[in-house]
Amino acid sequence: MSRPGRDDSPDRLYTLTGGRAHAAPDSPFDLVTLVVAECDPGPGLQSEHATILRLTQLPTAVVELAAELKLPVGITKILLSDLLAAGRVSARHPRRTAASGVPDPDVLEQVLVGLRNL
Amino acid sequence: MTAPSLPGERLPGERPTFRTLAPAPLLTAVLAACAVGGAVALAPGPVRVPLACGAAVGALLLTAAVAVAAHAVQTARITRRRLEAVTLDAGRLSQDQARQSAEFDQERVRLTEELTHEQARLTAELTRERAGLTASFTEERTRLTEENAEERARLTAENARLTERARRADQDRAAAVSATANAAGRMQALATGMLADLRAMEERHADEDVLADLLHLDHRTAQAGRLADSVAVLTGARSGRRWARPIAMESILRGAMGRISGYQRVRVHSASEAAVAGHAAEGVMHALAELLDNAATFSPPTAEVHVYVEEVPAGIIVSVEDSGLVMGEVQLRRAERAVSGDTDELGGLTGTRLGLAVVGRLARKYGLKVSYRPSARGGTGVLVLVPQDILVPHPYAERPQDALTLPEPPAPAAEQPQVSYDTHQAATDEDPDPVPSHEAADRSADTLPDGLPKRRRGRALAEAERERTRARAADSAAPEPRPAPAEDDALVRATRFNSFRQAVRGSAPDDRATPEPTVPAPHAHSHQEGDPTS
Repeated sequence: MSRPGRDDSPDRLYTLTGGRAHAAPDSPFDLVTLVVAECDPGPGLQSEHATILRLTQLPTAVVELAAELKLPVGITKILLSDLLAAGRVSARHPRRTAASGVPDPDVLEQVLVGLRNL
Repeated sequence: MTAPSLPGERLPGERPTFRTLAPAPLLTAVLAACAVGGAVALAPGPVRVPLACGAAVGALLLTAAVAVAAHAVQTARITRRRLEAVTLDAGRLSQDQARQSAEFDQERVRLTEELTHEQARLTAELTRERAGLTASFTEERTRLTEENAEERARLTAENARLTERARRADQDRAAAVSATANAAGRMQALATGMLADLRAMEERHADEDVLADLLHLDHRTAQAGRLADSVAVLTGARSGRRWARPIAMESILRGAMGRISGYQRVRVHSASEAAVAGHAAEGVMHALAELLDNAATFSPPTAEVHVYVEEVPAGIIVSVEDSGLVMGEVQLRRAERAVSGDTDELGGLTGTRLGLAVVGRLARKYGLKVSYRPSARGGTGVLVLVPQDILVPHPYAERPQDALTLPEPPAPAAEQPQVSYDTHQAATDEDPDPVPSHEAADRSADTLPDGLPKRRRGRALAEAERERTRARAADSAAPEPRPAPAEDDALVRATRFNSFRQAVRGSAPDDRATPEPTVPAPHAHSHQEGDPTS
């Protein structure tokens, strides 16, 4: 970290979210939730919202968005919740990967059904 | 002949009286009558008659003569007596005159003497009086001169004392202001450092409760920083920090909001894309923060404060409207005078009324025009004109590039999971007393580590861009550590996303979702080689 306060933004994080630090309880976002924009960034939007909409023209993970916005994930989730509530983005969970070591129960079930059908 | 008798001597008069004149003629007549009778008697008869007649005539003539003589004598005697009387009178008058002359002389002499005496007396008196007056005058003058000298000496001493006191007061004031400015500068530096630390902590801690606490601390620190900024502005110290790049109006307003307690009640209506030049951004932000704070403080706790941004040919007008207390005419005028920045006095400031004075100083420094008017919302409206010469019209032409730059690879969290922020900072923070100094250390180091052009204060971005291009052309062989132009970035992102999807789905790579970069820059691959994330 170089000299503090030199190049960071004058925006304080609480002004981005209106003071909220907690996402809504039913927030579907976690680190790897994929987000897709449902509309184009229009005028009058908060610049972070516009940036999110621009970045999520293609499905993008929350953690990536957070990194590119240079914002903490928690703040990013709140911004995404706002956009989701306004219907400007949609979110879905990626399927669990085999590499994570925990196979998706749906996949296992389908495999089981397929094996039984053999 | 008969001698006239002088019976008239006893009775002198003005004229001979009959009594004095009668005896002599009567005696003469008697004697003549006797003589005539005798003569006649003796005369013979024939002559008697003529004799008688002639004698009688002679006797009458004699009597008449005697009477005339007597009268003449008597007259002479009377005249002589009168002459004697007149002579006597004349002599007496002469004597009187002489006597009076003598008396006059005496009187004159006496008067002359008296006059002389009086004159002498008066002269003496006058002389004495004059001497007395001269003496008293001299004395008085001496006394006055002494008093004057004393008074002058006293006043000179007083003057010297007051001058000394004024000089000491000036010194004290200068020292106090200097100390305050110094302390304010250090508090600013501390606040700036703390804000940066808090931001870093907010990045580090994912827990929402911790984040909430950190945000709370962040807000408090920002308000403390604003107070330190206010003191610094009032004491004439330099403003807290300078931004190296233009700050968009949205960020300006949010930065201003973030420094007041009631920021959640502020509603910003802004579609402006202009930005404020880096050197003035802090001042504009601070002035707006003070105005927002006033608006929020003097309106009901639940009322909203609305901020509108409007672009006009002269610059940008930011209007802050509250629905709080309506300011009276006098208050409006006083507020306008305070924000006009005409007075440089620190006197009259009270602890709770710093804001408008701060706005006035900042307005004068940056050419802001602040005016008050009643608001249509029922409260007070403040118009702030941000002049064109501290505005940058399109600061974010490079914004997409900015926004799409690759983030720095996050440090593996597992490496230092339990290290407290303090110890972590102690190792990495080489500047223990973070003063926000923004002087360019090296003119050539105009590119940030990630290869972005960095605009120095007072230089156009285009110039920095040209310089950067020149530098890159000079050592194009040497790969830059983190170049990230937009095309590269798009490519990298696509690649990363593709691999991400592959990993997530565990299925065959979906080539349709991987847009190939159509026009990769010729140096893109060399850059990618140096990019650790690709």
